[in-house]
Amino acid sequence: MLDRIIQDYNEAVLDTSREKALAVIREALNQGVSPEDIEFKVVLPSIDMIIRLADKGDANLAQHFMASQIAAAVTEELIPKFKKTQEVMGCVVIGTSMGDFHGLGKKIVSGCLKVFMIDVIDLGLNVEPERFVEEALVHHAQVIGISSMMVHTARGENGCLKVRRLLKERELEDKIKIAVGGAPYRYDHELYKVVMADAWAENGIEAGSVIGELIKEVKK
Amino acid sequence: MITGMDRLIAAAEGRVSDRIPVFCNLIDQGAKELGMSLQEYYANGEYVAEAQLTMRRKFGYDNLWSLFYVGKEAELLGCTKIIFAKDGPPNVGEMIIHTFEDIHKLRIPDDIGSHPAFQEEIKCLRILRREEGGKYPICAYITASMTLPAILMGMEKWLDLLLNGPAEIRDELLTKCSEFFRKEITAYRDAGADIFVYSNPFGSTDFVPRKLFKEISLRWMETDLKSVGTQGVVYYCGGARLNPVIEEVLERTGITTYYLSPMDDIREGKRIIAGRALCAGVINDIKLIDWSVEEISLEVKRMIDAGMPGGKFFFGTLVMPYSIPEVNIRAMLDAAYEFGKYTRQD
Repeated sequence: MLDRIIQDYNEAVLDTSREKALAVIREALNQGVSPEDIEFKVVLPSIDMIIRLADKGDANLAQHFMASQIAAAVTEELIPKFKKTQEVMGCVVIGTSMGDFHGLGKKIVSGCLKVFMIDVIDLGLNVEPERFVEEALVHHAQVIGISSMMVHTARGENGCLKVRRLLKERELEDKIKIAVGGAPYRYDHELYKVVMADAWAENGIEAGSVIGELIKEVKK
Repeated sequence: MITGMDRLIAAAEGRVSDRIPVFCNLIDQGAKELGMSLQEYYANGEYVAEAQLTMRRKFGYDNLWSLFYVGKEAELLGCTKIIFAKDGPPNVGEMIIHTFEDIHKLRIPDDIGSHPAFQEEIKCLRILRREEGGKYPICAYITASMTLPAILMGMEKWLDLLLNGPAEIRDELLTKCSEFFRKEITAYRDAGADIFVYSNPFGSTDFVPRKLFKEISLRWMETDLKSVGTQGVVYYCGGARLNPVIEEVLERTGITTYYLSPMDDIREGKRIIAGRALCAGVINDIKLIDWSVEEISLEVKRMIDAGMPGGKFFFGTLVMPYSIPEVNIRAMLDAAYEFGKYTRQD
């Protein structure tokens, strides 16, 4: 039965149909499938499926967006139904770099992170470097996620470079890692090193697992 | 003397001239050229025209731009807040559509040519036409109906409406955006532009699933272009890949120029087009910031070697970030002029 649910759910996600995907989940719950099985055997693997497709260049922005939004919505609905409270994996503060008003990538990342049981503090658009660091400290975040859609906001002095400088000055580099993403990084895969980030992700869906790995690294 | 227009017409007709056409999209660099801030620069069409003419003469490439910044289209539809940076393109600072009610209320100007927000572009185009008209193609940038909603309501809301509906609201917005497109291209034609870069990331399967591309994107492209024709129209997906959609776009719209993504395989693009249209190989110009002169030269050669056989090919750039060193711009252009010679022997 679970195989059928997985197949139907994946088809709905690839079809970018939120309605169909939610109907599959509701039907599965009605049939007595546990919320934990739905979350960890259906929803989470569907994110992995999109990552694999994206790696081959076979997934598009609409699928990333819908996969993330559907997964976040389902996760929020399922968590209260879990028999045992799931351990939160970690926390990330996320926002777009200063001068950048493009929020879609950040939104996709946030949706995926919820599925990975990572708390997301969304700082919004046009975030000052100082605020990234302050908020990371307030929320005990292991990762700062910085999204940039334009070259000058990715490479500029008030983006990741300054966040790195602030972490260094305050000796926080072992406690807080930086992940970056957005269009300029897709066109230059070495750019994350230029801006002194710890990691980058090709797309919003992949960012979920990249940030997850950074959290594990900090917690080691 | 062979002009950029001569080169472009020869390439489009499958003939040779001295070298392939080279299009270089220097936009924000105009402010640097005139030593002023981007905000000051874009406030006056005379500045934009002067810088466009100066940069083309200085670097020797084949096109001129009438584009100020993409947010200009939002201004024509009522946006009053543009946020200027010191070293990059201006951003739309406020979305004009927040609710479905805003879509109902959206009004398309009757005559874009007389719209106050278009007057500096008219001024710019008049000067470009007077100085280099007919000699160097003057480009205008026009966003397709499928993509324009992204700058009116934001990417997230547009994707949500596009994918989840309601379909009648989506179609109401697309109908208005298509009307705007047709009026805008007419205004640019009347003002003297020759080339119309039809920007449509939502017409690429990097953005939308193939099913949606076939059922919605193609339909609205046909609607955009049916009455205004494809003369001078260049298909461009804003950096998203074209190769997977070229065949259908060509068949359904008849567009005869394709401006590939740096992510597209140029040989594959040429193979798909098969001599039916002109094709631009486009450099990943974000890398120009850090590449050495030697790396730039090698990349330009690789691209031209892939695209030039069989003709109907030209060289192009994508966004040309403000921070590319001038020496690297020159290195790219010198390599394109050298390796793009039709008489090249190596």
